[in-house]
Amino acid sequence: MGVMRLGYAHIRVTDLAEAKDHYANTMGLYETHAEGNKVYYKAWDEWDHHSVVLEEGGVGVVKYGWKVQHSTDLDDIEAKATAFGVTVDRMSKGDNPEIGDGIRFTTPSDHVFEVYHEATLVGTEVGVHNPDAFPRHLVGVGVPALDHSLITAEDPGQMDRFLSEVFGFYATERVQTSLDDDADIIATWMTSSNQIHQLAVLSGPQGKLHHFAFRLNDWNEVGRAADLFSMDDVPIDVGPTRHGITRGQTVYFFDPSGNRNEVFSGGYLAYPDRPTNVWTPEALGKGVFYHSRELNDAFTSVLT
Amino acid sequence: MPTVTIHPTGEVIYLQPGQTVLSGLYQAGFAYTVGCRRGGCAICKVDCRAGDFTYCRPVADTVISDAEQADGTCLTCRAVPEGDITIELRGEDVRLVNRFLHQINDKARQRAEAHAAANSAAGTPEKEQSWES
Repeated sequence: MGVMRLGYAHIRVTDLAEAKDHYANTMGLYETHAEGNKVYYKAWDEWDHHSVVLEEGGVGVVKYGWKVQHSTDLDDIEAKATAFGVTVDRMSKGDNPEIGDGIRFTTPSDHVFEVYHEATLVGTEVGVHNPDAFPRHLVGVGVPALDHSLITAEDPGQMDRFLSEVFGFYATERVQTSLDDDADIIATWMTSSNQIHQLAVLSGPQGKLHHFAFRLNDWNEVGRAADLFSMDDVPIDVGPTRHGITRGQTVYFFDPSGNRNEVFSGGYLAYPDRPTNVWTPEALGKGVFYHSRELNDAFTSVLT
Repeated sequence: MPTVTIHPTGEVIYLQPGQTVLSGLYQAGFAYTVGCRRGGCAICKVDCRAGDFTYCRPVADTVISDAEQADGTCLTCRAVPEGDITIELRGEDVRLVNRFLHQINDKARQRAEAHAAANSAAGTPEKEQSWES
């Protein structure tokens, strides 16, 4: 099936000690490795070695890792990326701790993507043999998994084509300037699976991070997460609310370096043959924040 | 007892020692365009026209460049005044959005000024309290 999921987000933080407190004690991630100025984490229901990497120095995203199902998918994606006009490098096993060999390239949006097939299997916190529903001693929000990310690009339409042609993604929802066939794409929500989105791309500067999101199960968990953010003095950007786009329930908030995070639940099942939802500018507020129906200024201006 | 004076309107806001400029202004009922409140997005920059401040956390050089470290640029969510400072916003004015909070801040400022005057007359140093923003 090619790309299965967003495997890891590698993020810059200004102060590693504060960031560790946020991602371990507020979000509830498990530290799996540390070396130099980097710390590696996984969430409780993930089995691969890590899904979040924090690197001290600066803010924003260093790179994303995408895990493919078959080793032959790497050759396929390399050929398609090259055909799209992107320069592809080979990545060696061990370039990232506990991650196998693969390919690395910079997207038309100036983000670094790594694609790999093997990661050290650590296992979930509940195991596979007669597993319980969740670990009893979760910390803080206790997120089960990394879910998706939203990045900005000068030409989201180009990224829509790139992700379609190179990763085999399809768009579940788009924001367009109009319903005309030649309308400009302002934003696109893309996936390879039934997950409502794995990567979204919004019109904006090249190479920037809007947010990366962790998965939750339902409204109650989203509300509880917001309560914990108040307890831990985490600045909430927006929410708890619902997105019109994806129908997901959400809280946007900021990590101690100002990188935007999200907890996200719900979202309908995506299928490649389901007609793409299209939003036009007059309903953009409702599309992004279904209850306030207003796009706050920060949504488009606050990036790292 | 640091104060922030807003140029050109002349509003004076009282900050607790250790409090950031952004935290102080919002707590005194004022609003302006801010973003992550955690030093990452660079939205809340203003110009510092007088006085000194320090940053209470490391700030990324993509947020404050070397040139901006020297030209009076003040990232208000991380800037803690070292004494009284004067700031000027860029392309907007602060908006008084909560008169109740403003009255409370004014009273706190008057009270702190009276205490400082009394202590100075008695020859005892001003007692500073720490403030986490």
